Amino acid sequence: MKQVYKRDLERLWQTISEHFELYLPLEQDGKVNFMPWKQGENVNIDRLKTDLSPKNIIFPPTETYLKFRTVNKRLCFESVGGKNDKYVVFGMRPCDAASYSILDKVFLQEPIDRFYEERRTNGIIISLACSEPEETCFCSSFGIAADNPVLGTDIAAWDIGESILWQPKSEKGKKLTGILDNILQDTSEHEIIALERLQQSIREKLAQLPWVDLDLEIISNNMKEMFESKVWEELSKSCLGCGVCTFVCPTCHCFDIQDFGAERNGERFRCWDSCMYSDFTRMAHGNPRKTQTERFRQRFMHKLVYFLNNNGVYACVGCGRCVEKCPVNMNIVKVIKKLGGD
Amino acid sequence: MSLKLEEKAISSKQQFEPLIVAFCCNWCSYAGADLAGTSRLNYPANIKIIKVPCSCRVSPNFVLRAFQRGADGVIIAGCHPGDCHYSTGNYFTRRRFTLFANLLEYVGIEREKFKIEWISAAEGNKFATVMNEMLDSINKLGPSRKLRDGRWIRQQ
Amino acid sequence: MDKTTVRMQQIALQTLANGEVDVILGWKKGDEWYDSYPVVINDINETAELIWDAFCVNNLSKYLITELKKNLRIGVFLKGCDSLAFNQLVIDNRIDSERVVIFGLPCPGMIDPQKVKHAGLNKGLLKVERTGDKIVFITKEGVKEYIGRSFDYDKCLNCRCPNPVVSKYMLSDAVTRTDEEQYFPDVTEIEKMPLEARYDYWTKQFSKCIKCYACRNICPLCSCETCVFDNIAAGVSSKADADCEQQFFHIIRAYHVAGRCVDCGECSRVCPVGIPLEKLNRKIIKDINQLYGDYTADTDIAKSPPLGTYKVDDFDPFDGSKQGGKK
Ligand code: SF4
Ligand code: SF4
Ligand code: SF4
Ligand code: SF4
Repeated sequence: MKQVYKRDLERLWQTISEHFELYLPLEQDGKVNFMPWKQGENVNIDRLKTDLSPKNIIFPPTETYLKFRTVNKRLCFESVGGKNDKYVVFGMRPCDAASYSILDKVFLQEPIDRFYEERRTNGIIISLACSEPEETCFCSSFGIAADNPVLGTDIAAWDIGESILWQPKSEKGKKLTGILDNILQDTSEHEIIALERLQQSIREKLAQLPWVDLDLEIISNNMKEMFESKVWEELSKSCLGCGVCTFVCPTCHCFDIQDFGAERNGERFRCWDSCMYSDFTRMAHGNPRKTQTERFRQRFMHKLVYFLNNNGVYACVGCGRCVEKCPVNMNIVKVIKKLGGD
Repeated sequence: MSLKLEEKAISSKQQFEPLIVAFCCNWCSYAGADLAGTSRLNYPANIKIIKVPCSCRVSPNFVLRAFQRGADGVIIAGCHPGDCHYSTGNYFTRRRFTLFANLLEYVGIEREKFKIEWISAAEGNKFATVMNEMLDSINKLGPSRKLRDGRWIRQQ
Repeated sequence: MDKTTVRMQQIALQTLANGEVDVILGWKKGDEWYDSYPVVINDINETAELIWDAFCVNNLSKYLITELKKNLRIGVFLKGCDSLAFNQLVIDNRIDSERVVIFGLPCPGMIDPQKVKHAGLNKGLLKVERTGDKIVFITKEGVKEYIGRSFDYDKCLNCRCPNPVVSKYMLSDAVTRTDEEQYFPDVTEIEKMPLEARYDYWTKQFSKCIKCYACRNICPLCSCETCVFDNIAAGVSSKADADCEQQFFHIIRAYHVAGRCVDCGECSRVCPVGIPLEKLNRKIIKDINQLYGDYTADTDIAKSPPLGTYKVDDFDPFDGSKQGGKK
């Protein structure tokens, strides 16, 4: 276990950015999001959750695959996309880091998404435990430990006040730790005690939160019943069919592939899509899910039932962004509660 | 690589050949352009005319698309208010595009880049003058990438 | 219980029971202090769950468009800003006002949960009560009281219409606001910026957009059956991350509500990345007011919308007037 003193943080970031692209939670116009860091930026590692999830780092909102153009009557193709630069993300929360391991199940199964794979292998994730979990957090319901970052984590970190504790969890993490040798300090008994105390306090705080043990099994074990349930109609009535919930969600991963065509050149790109949209998976006859109720059901059945059946995990990490951002206060917790018979 | 090529073309000012898209009402300005042509009045070849049934047929989408795909200036030319072939079309054009022009300026687009002109079928002269003036002012502004779609490659 | 809530439940029960309406659009309370959410009810037993508090921010009038297709008569609770949107929907011919019974709710302002959170007041918070400008935070540890509007949504601080402009039953006394608000300071500020600075400002703002379309879907007046941005055939649905596409979306969105926007501020409220959309909308409103007379959108449903009409002698910025032609 290592540690970095808070007064050394700036120096730490400086050093990291000499070797890597560095993503930090930056505050701009009151919103905090992971963005590439430059000296002088307003870093905010105390805000519990970034407004948008950090999935855009490994799965950008739009990504061009292919460029083509005609040159002397011949069509030329150029493959683009992916990411060659190595990068580091500092301060991701355990739930968001875990979401990376969930997205892996989608993009890294055969046929592997090469661009995604590139972004994943080139990144080092430093995940910071949540000293102050909030009412909207329900990670514990999905088995994610806010006091102990593991999933999707290369280096686990804890803010113990004076300093940030630092524990490499993977090969990549160890390498980075090596590079930062002259900034990272050794820890003593004193810090280990502080860590234990912090973890204890996090667990206590988590236990106080309203949604720590949602009953998911009742839903995942009863696919047919759930699918046919009457509650979807009622729940979806207020849903606007905007895509905020899917776009801020760290695990939502649907995308569309579109072409941009000019006179003699063009591009093929993928962009985020949302099952809440009326033109989602549109085919010749239109959207197979004709009503908002069906679309709404799809989103939650996918997260709580289908994804679990296919991949062995739920496609939700309990970060609570949809809870905060849905314009009409509809969210997965309400759905779970309603399906579980309140 | 392709993009860089275009950038280069744009950066050298003497090479700047502006492209101006003119939406012309079939009943007046388009005929005005014709008249300018038959009267052998000079108007620049940089003007690309698109014929529309009435100036109020032009949606702001068209204007923005034109800018995206290579236009350096866009002009809508319609009948003088009061002379609309459909009686009232251009009164609506006037309100809509007064607001739209203000909005464009508000988001940082130069006034010179988007214009409305009232040109009747008899005003071949005015047509030529307006177009020449427009070209002049665009030339003065010089090349700009505002509103342009970086992915769109113009054929030389 | 809050007086207005009691009144709300009574009137809902009464109108459902006597058949004046078939369904009611209102709000219910979820588990958490900030969670008041829109509901459609037709069961008199549910009327006791209706609620009025400082989090009933959702405008229910847009739901009328779909619900009126399924129901004959609808009762709806509307705040001041909601009622403006209601009237505009009537002007736009999107709803039949004859079939709607309005319960008016004078509104002291809605509370922004994010502001509460950023002030650190959310810890152990159970309930928030508001009477006028007095806000009471009831927490596990005790009760805290605040006077003032520091937790109001930004949009509420700019409210020009706290009292419903139309209603059949008014549920409480009118709210009076004495503070003379400046309506367009933000717009004037941008207008004063140099052109290039303006361009950079907006390009930066637009580039944050993730095209979630919440601004459009929450807007009571964005009510097209198929939005131009969803219409692949129209060729404008591209979600590519290009500056020009962002500009396209934002300019056209603002322009499509020109003359109809009631400045309810919902679009800016829901934007997850914080783009100040109201500054675009208000620019248009300001211009309309200046050029075509005060179109206090919506208060008078007999007036035609400014872009649906014209005057022969409208201001003509395009007439050089030297070259002649009829005026
Ligand atoms: S649940 Fe909420 S955020 Fe999601 S689509 Fe519906 S209204 Fe939008
Ligand atoms: S959901 Fe859990 S892991 Fe995520 S921010 Fe909240 S406490 Fe931390
Ligand atoms: S554009 Fe925004 S402010 Fe205007 S009516 Fe729509 S949601 Fe309200
Ligand atoms: S709500 Fe904000 S992010 Fe979403 S589409 Fe509108 S402007 Fe863009």
